[in-house]
Amino acid sequence: MVAIKLIPHILSWVGIVLILLRGFPERKRVVAVAVGAGFALGVAGTFFLFRSFPGDFSFSLIRDVVGGSFLLLWGIAVASIYRSTVRNFPLSWGERFFASIFFAGVGAFMSGMIAGAISVCRLGTSGGMLMLLILVLVACVLVFESLAIERLLPPSFTVSNSALMAGVVALLLFSSSSILRLDLFSPLSMKVMKFTHDFVHQFFESMLIPDHLFIHIHLWRYIGLLFGKEVGFWGGLIIWFAPAILIALAISFERLPSVAHIRQGAQRRTVVATAIRARRFRLVVPGITILVLAGAGYQSRFPAVEYWDPKPIVISAGPSGEIVIPLKGEVDLKDGKLHKYLFSQGGKEARFFVLMTPTGQLTVDLDACAICKPDGYGQTEGTVLCYYCKTLIPLETVGKPGGCNPVPIHFTEKKDGVYIDGLTLINTWSTTVQTTARVKEGSK
Amino acid sequence: MATAIIETTSLTRNYGDICALKPLDLQVPEGEWLSVMGHSGSGKSTLMNLVGGLDRPSAGSLQVGGKDLLALTEDGLARFRREFVGIIFQQHHLVPYLSAVENVMMAQYFHSVPDEAEARLALERVGLGHRLKNRPGELSGGEQQRVCIARAIINSPKLLLGDEPTGNLDHKSTVMVMDLLKELRDEERFTIIMVTHNQEVAAWGDRTIYLDDGVLVREERMNS
Repeated sequence: MVAIKLIPHILSWVGIVLILLRGFPERKRVVAVAVGAGFALGVAGTFFLFRSFPGDFSFSLIRDVVGGSFLLLWGIAVASIYRSTVRNFPLSWGERFFASIFFAGVGAFMSGMIAGAISVCRLGTSGGMLMLLILVLVACVLVFESLAIERLLPPSFTVSNSALMAGVVALLLFSSSSILRLDLFSPLSMKVMKFTHDFVHQFFESMLIPDHLFIHIHLWRYIGLLFGKEVGFWGGLIIWFAPAILIALAISFERLPSVAHIRQGAQRRTVVATAIRARRFRLVVPGITILVLAGAGYQSRFPAVEYWDPKPIVISAGPSGEIVIPLKGEVDLKDGKLHKYLFSQGGKEARFFVLMTPTGQLTVDLDACAICKPDGYGQTEGTVLCYYCKTLIPLETVGKPGGCNPVPIHFTEKKDGVYIDGLTLINTWSTTVQTTARVKEGSK
Repeated sequence: MATAIIETTSLTRNYGDICALKPLDLQVPEGEWLSVMGHSGSGKSTLMNLVGGLDRPSAGSLQVGGKDLLALTEDGLARFRREFVGIIFQQHHLVPYLSAVENVMMAQYFHSVPDEAEARLALERVGLGHRLKNRPGELSGGEQQRVCIARAIINSPKLLLGDEPTGNLDHKSTVMVMDLLKELRDEERFTIIMVTHNQEVAAWGDRTIYLDDGVLVREERMNS
């Protein structure tokens, strides 16, 4: 079971090592040692991080590092497309740095460290030190295997600096996207969707969109598209794939060597053909990168996790109008799982859940947020997930208002159970959730 | 004395029980024009195919341009043919639906990359500058053979093989083609091995060897 869980990480690890080895053909030994050492340190560091800071902090830190590497890739992609269009590249020192032994060592070490950290996020610390030791050993064996596989690759298969970066970052993203709390594509899609909605809204508020009857109808037919749910997905895809595509374009725009000085035609054409063949080989890694990013996006959109999503228990209020849920009745409210309930009063319904957070606090919240259509939440891997917008809410923050967090409900915890005012519940649902949902349905 | 571009020792080729080429020792200096004569089935084409890397010997050693052809893999042999050898056949083997210049460019394509300007120049060099866009069916036999020569030399081969290149041509065209080959050979200094039945054609070469039943029976040097 553990081995199956680790498949994306093992594949990524082998891919990262292979790309690094081929990317630094003169420094294979340094790369092999650095990447292995980085992995071991990443595993150990993350283990202690999780022990010291249980909760969302450690996940956020690792996610930020992976996100930072994606931003760096964007920078490299823009620089490389610029490089392909100018003769005197102002950042030639950067290219010399890329070719140095220092960069090979540090780059491999950092890559190994992030890969190790991601693997620990998958395994968790429950397996103890032994499990992590086995993980490091397996990773080191795979480094040796990769050294052997790398020798089988044709010598003409070379990797450019930018493609090396793209390949490694894409594989790290692929590895992290199999873990819900490290996934970057879904949050990226969400950010794009929210940005687009806000942008159009502000644009409208600023009266930049004319309110003429004719223009209004026709313009809003198109503006309405920007309010669709898919705008985040497609916008996210563009941001997700653009660096790899830019790098592939930069490689395909690379200038061929000057052959004007070669007198013999056949020799001249041989030089050109060799350069074209080498350029095609250099496009292999960006091509693979695009496939890997597609895989990461797929994992993000269709995560292979099972959500804890119990059927809501129908519940009613007592004569005083209070809902009482016993702490240990049909379900144990303090078992750390999400327990959903459905309450009806006066022809209105409200869905809510009770959950004990990892900090030991009970919280009662609507099974909906104030922003999205009330599709509800599912619980998985230390988080609850909004089914509508796929936002992950760490369990530690459930019970706090704002954003896509479930709307908290005032309740009283007594020895025998949890007491919630039925009318408050119905009113909260009606005033926050239903309005939002109706507007969203109406806009379709 | 020029170094040998072709060196064979006990070169043999058997097809089942038939011995097409019996152990042959031959040296061809760089830049020489060697004519190969003999009756049908004497082993002329077999020798040419072996030297050109189109076939593999059954026994013996074969060095061409310093390369041991027996040691080459199929890929290596293909690279050798592509970069080292040009071939002119009796039956032209031009692609009928491509123009003259496109036929020449096809050889460039398989060698490295096509270059139309260079292909045009090659055709102008063989006197077909006015027939660039004509298809083989619109050219005379002599013109087609000149396209073949342009195609054969476009990749600057070190060794040019001719398998009865004038077999289908009248006397006037034969003289034109042979004169052209001689002129090109003098300019480019490539080595020519030409199989022929025609004593007059063989006389264009520096040396003629005679094969009979797979055995080298006689050799004579021509007067320049």
